[in-house]
Order: sequence, then structure tokens, then C-alpha cells
Amino acid sequence: MMHRLIWRCLPAVPAVIALLAWWAWFAIDRPPPSVMPSATDVVVTMWQLAFGGRLAGDILASLARLLSGVGLGIVTGMIAGFVAGLNRPVASFLNPLVVFFNAISGIVWLPLVIGWLGIGSALAIFLIWNTVFFIVFQNTVLGVQLVAEVLELSVRSLGGGRWETIRSVTLPGALPYILSGIRSGLGFGWRALIAAELVGATTGLGQLIFSGAEYHRADIIVGGCLLIGAIAMAMDRWLLLPIERRTVMRWGLVTSGRGR
Amino acid sequence: MKLLAPLRVLMPFAVLVAIWWGIKSGAQVPDKLLVAPPAVWASFVYLVTHGILAEYASASLRMIGLAAMISFVIGVPLGFAVGTNRYAARALEGTLRFLQGISGIAWLPLAILWFGFSNTTTLTIVIYTLIVPIVFNTMTGVRAIPENYVLALQSLGAGRLRIVRDVYLPGALPSIVVGMRLGMGYGWRALIASEMLVRQGGLGDLIFSARTFSQIDRIMVGMVVIGTLYIIVDRLLVQPIETMTIARWGILRR
Amino acid sequence: MAEKIEVSGFRHFFQTEGGPVQATGTIDLSIRAGEFVTLVGPSGCGKTTLLKAIAGFITPSEGSIVCDGKPVKGPGRDRGVVFQELAILPWRTVRRNIAHGLEIARVPRVQRDATVTRLVGLMGLVGFEDRYPHELSGGMRQRVAVARTWAADPEIILMDEPFAAVDAMTRLTLQEELGRLCVATRKTVFFITHSVEEAVFLADRVLVMTKRPGTIKAVLDVPRREAGGRDWDSFTSDPVMQKIAGEVMHLVHAERV
Repeated sequence: MMHRLIWRCLPAVPAVIALLAWWAWFAIDRPPPSVMPSATDVVVTMWQLAFGGRLAGDILASLARLLSGVGLGIVTGMIAGFVAGLNRPVASFLNPLVVFFNAISGIVWLPLVIGWLGIGSALAIFLIWNTVFFIVFQNTVLGVQLVAEVLELSVRSLGGGRWETIRSVTLPGALPYILSGIRSGLGFGWRALIAAELVGATTGLGQLIFSGAEYHRADIIVGGCLLIGAIAMAMDRWLLLPIERRTVMRWGLVTSGRGR
Repeated sequence: MKLLAPLRVLMPFAVLVAIWWGIKSGAQVPDKLLVAPPAVWASFVYLVTHGILAEYASASLRMIGLAAMISFVIGVPLGFAVGTNRYAARALEGTLRFLQGISGIAWLPLAILWFGFSNTTTLTIVIYTLIVPIVFNTMTGVRAIPENYVLALQSLGAGRLRIVRDVYLPGALPSIVVGMRLGMGYGWRALIASEMLVRQGGLGDLIFSARTFSQIDRIMVGMVVIGTLYIIVDRLLVQPIETMTIARWGILRR
Repeated sequence: MAEKIEVSGFRHFFQTEGGPVQATGTIDLSIRAGEFVTLVGPSGCGKTTLLKAIAGFITPSEGSIVCDGKPVKGPGRDRGVVFQELAILPWRTVRRNIAHGLEIARVPRVQRDATVTRLVGLMGLVGFEDRYPHELSGGMRQRVAVARTWAADPEIILMDEPFAAVDAMTRLTLQEELGRLCVATRKTVFFITHSVEEAVFLADRVLVMTKRPGTIKAVLDVPRREAGGRDWDSFTSDPVMQKIAGEVMHLVHAERV
């Protein structure tokens, strides 16, 4: 009984230790607030920002950009991935381009695209789309090509045509790869968003923490960073995990060991 | 057959350059938005012959190399320590996941407050970015090793050190390499982004400074170099290790 | 009886990077309607190639394949296939896997459900209708694969070592069930195996193939099974059956690779 209680509380231990260390630091030696805020400062600041501050607007701006960029990336990446995955010549023609553009995806485009789209949401959405597209594309191609041939043959022997085979075999068969592409796309996209907002936007969480640096407000930065982590974790748990539970895990295609 | 391989790689790029050139001259795009391929080539030649490119590129490479080394040396043993102890693993897994959600670049404002606009800032950010996926993947790699492997060796009389050497290390290696590869992917971008803001040299600085003067040719040279260097590092260093371990032992990821 | 499957002058080559590789020798064979024909041969002799050609998955390099008087031009609903590997879809429940062929043929739901219920009963899958394949044992999954093929109700059924991946005990049961199912439904079956006993136990006629590039080296008739199919008890104690099995074993043994 005691053992189970300890086991259940273990994940909270690092956070508790971090908080205690934080408080201890402030008890022994008080660093200037522009270097390190106290935990209470962070809570108070975030509270003020949340109520009557700009926090809600920033979160919404960031999330809207993320969802547009990621959604666009998933849709275009999957469509292109299916076309290439089902046509080997197309895939091998595109492969060098995809490898190259994947290597410069995201933030690397910022200096160029800022001239095309200016500062704002369009820029951030482009950078996220650009990041997510190549990852989803590569994973979709791989997934489509790796679907067991015998499954396709079996559906064709039942009289299924090309479309039926794609719908009932290729799409679900490639889903584990597509989902893992979406997951790492979301990871890269979230990073790209924050980076893009640091310089290429006037609102959003990235801009919030960057303004913290300008005004030497470490409390805003630390609070903002913790919020960024919390949102990323929430998306993983409440967006991706339920999809995986309902599909690939239910079908026994992957076990629940979720590593990145 | 062999002679055709480079052609197959270059062909798509040739098509792309043709399209780019076509758009540039066909739609009369002004030079401050997009320049023609020869302008980029001229800029490339200029940057190379004046040693500018070498200076900026070597700054970036030194930084990522140093960060990768430090992250590897600290991250892998840390991952092992956490992975072999199930209490430590349970305690830290959630925290590591949480930290993975906060990109290195998000800590950049704080690092700037602490270390100013310096290389230390960039190095800190890149190490943070690299180390979290390395620790996380080393840990999950160790956790994923079937307990029977350990039990079998224990029954043969193996001590703890031998078990680490013969079971944990080879068993976790594919996962470590995956973490390293992911870390390099995140880390290289974090480096570029950090260089853009810190402005103390490096390819990120090169392309972002070029933005200030609307030197599109220079930006595009920088982008191509950034991509090419990343591919070289990824394909020539990281991927061979991955194929070696994963293919040799037939270990599938997950 | 009419010829259901007619293979004449069949020969096949695979194109590889090192040039064409001969997969089979020249094969002629005909199977009558309602007949259960098994084909035994060593690994790599080209049995699966022949079956895939009849199924329409590959186009023969030489020769022709005619089913029901029509040349084979691709896979079709008239020829169902049961594969060796698990070829049922992991993302469909047992019920939806069995009904898949009927869905493709746009059979109305009521009729589809009736067929599924009948086959679920026949194959001993009652209570597992809404499970996913990964929740079933290997033997159960192969039952689903058989049921799916039967549900589509093709006249010809092609089976490629369907019980090879199933444990030995389950295999005996599945073989008996298959025998009963075939007698009950009067299908024309072409069944590939490398197990001599399985070949003789199930067949009306056993074909023996040589090693690669395989040709058919012997044809043995097996006395018609009695109504209700065969069972392993009477098979092992029947001297006629054992004699045929011995002969086939002898023929196959000579083809050791």
C-alpha cells in the first residue's frame, strides 16, 4: 500500500525538488530579479498576465498559428506522400529534394520569407507548414511503401479495386508511420513557432518571452517557458494520445511504449 | 549504372533551379524578393573567395560539434543511470517529456539575460536542446531491453559492469542513436535561430544580417550551405551508425 | 465434370538485376469443378508462383491460364485466396474482416450479417466477432482468413500453405474443419503445402512438384472422402491412405534440396 503510494507520487518528485531548490536559493542568496525571479514572483506575474493581461491573446495567437500550420502540413504532406508512396518513380525523383528541404525546414527560411510575407501570422504559419510538411511526407511515403503486400493482395482477391485497396489497406496500414510523423512534426512545429515568434511576430508566446528579455523581466520568461512546456504536454496527451489509443494501439500495431 | 546515380540526385535540383529561374524572369519578381540563380552563384563565389563563408560556417560547426560532444558525454551516462533504476526512470520520465516540450530557443531570452549576447548563450541553448532527447532516448532504450537478457547473463555469473557492457550498451545503442539524430535535428535549428538573435557569428547570423540589407543572394547561399552541412553531418556521421546498429542486429525501433 | 481451372504451357521467369531467373518449369494442369487438389513440393520450387498466377497477381511469362473458360487477366471475385501469412486486416474486427468481400461487392447489410453469423458459427468464432486480430491466437486468425474467403463465396479457392504458421495441435483441428467445410460447400480448391500428410489428408488428387525450376512430376488420386469429411483418427488407421502417403513421401523425398 505504502509502496504503491510512493510509486504514484514519484513523477512529482523532480518538480518538488526543483521548487525546494528554487526556494532554498532565494533563502540563502537573493539574486537580482532580472536574473532569476522567485517562484512566487512567477506565479503572481502569470496570474496578472492571465487576468487582465495579454496571456490569453498570446496563447490563442500561438495555438491558432500552430494548428493552421500543422493542419496544412499534415493534409498536404499526406496527399503528396500518398502520391509519391504509390508511384516509385515519383518518390525516387522527389527524394533528394525532400532530404534537402527537410534539412533547411523551419526557421532557416525566416530571413527569406520575412521579405515575402512580412512580420505576422502568415510568416509563422509558413514556417510551421514548411517544417511539418516534409516530416509527414517522408513518413507517409515510408508507411505506404511498407504496408505488407499480402494485405493488398488479399483485398484485391476479394474483388477490391485500387481505391478500395488504398482506403481499406494502405491508409490504415501506413497510419502508424503517419502518426509518428505527425508527432515529430508537431514537436518541430512547436519549436519553429516559438522561434518564429521571437522575431517574426508581434503577438504569441514567443513574443511574450522575448519582450520579457527586453524589459529584463525574468519572471515573464520563466513563466512563459513553463507554460510552453505545459501546452506541448497537453497537446500530446489530449490530442495525439487519444488518436493513437483509438487507432494504431487498438489494432495492436504499436504498443503503448511511447518514446520519441 | 553507377554513373547514373549522381545524375539521379542532381536531376531534381536542375528541374527546381529551372522552375525558380522561370518564375524569377517570367513573373519579373523584384530582386529584393527573389534573385536569379546566377546572382546566388556569384554571391557564393564571393563569400568563398573572401573567406567569409568559411568563417561563418566554421563558427556554426564548431558550436554544434562542441555541443554534441558535451551533450553526449553527459547525456548518455545520465540516461543509463536513470534507465537502469526503475524508480529514477519513473520519477524523471514525466519531467523529461515536459522539458522536451520547451524548446531550447524558448530559454534563449533567459540565457540572454544571464550570459548576454555571447557564444555562451548559444552554446547553452544548443546543449539543452541536444541533451534532453539524448537522455530521454537512452533511458527509454535501456528500459526497453527485455529483462530476460539481463537474467540470462546474471545466471552465467556476470557482474553489473559486464551486464552494462554486454546487454545495456548494445541494446540501448539504436535508441541512443535515434536520440542523437533527433537532438541534432532540433539542435542545428536551435543553433541557427540562436545565432540569428545573438549575432555573434555563425550561419544564422550570416543570413539574418543579410536580411537587414535585403541581400537575398546571400540569404539563399546561407540556406543552401545550412542544408548541405546538415545533410553531410546527418548522412555521413549519424546515419551510418544507425544503419550499422539497427541493421546489423536486426533490432527494430519501438 | 467440367474443367474449372486449366493451366497449359505455364512457365514463369522473375526479372532480377542479374537477369531473368526461372521460377518454374513448364506446367500443365487441370482441375475439375468441386475437386480438392493439393500440390506438394520442396521450398522454392515455384508452387506459390503458380498459385499467384492462377489468382491473377502475376502475369505468366509463357502459357495460359483459363478459369471457367475465361482467360485470367487479374485478380477477381471468382477466385478467393487464403495466404500463408496473416493477411487479415489488423484494423478491422473479426466481423468486419469476414464481411469485407461482401462490402466490396455491395451486398446489403442484412444479408452480409447473415453470412457473417453463419461463418462465425461454422468456424468456431462465436463470441469473438468484435475482437481485433491481435487479440486472437494464430489459429483463430487463420480461421478468420478462411471465413473471409468463404464469405465472398467464390467458386474457386486458392490456398497457399494456410496452416504453416499455426501450431501443430491447432493445425490438425483446422485441417479437419477445412475438410468438412469443403464437403459442405462444394468448392473447387487448389491447396499448396509442403506437408505430405496434409496434402494426402485433404486432397481428391495430389500433385507432386520437382525442385526448382519445378514441374509436376506425379499425380496421385486419393479415394473420395466419405460424407462429412475426414478425420485424423481414421486417416492414420486407414492402410490405403497410409500407402498413398508413403508413396508421396517417397516422391517428395527424392526432391530434397
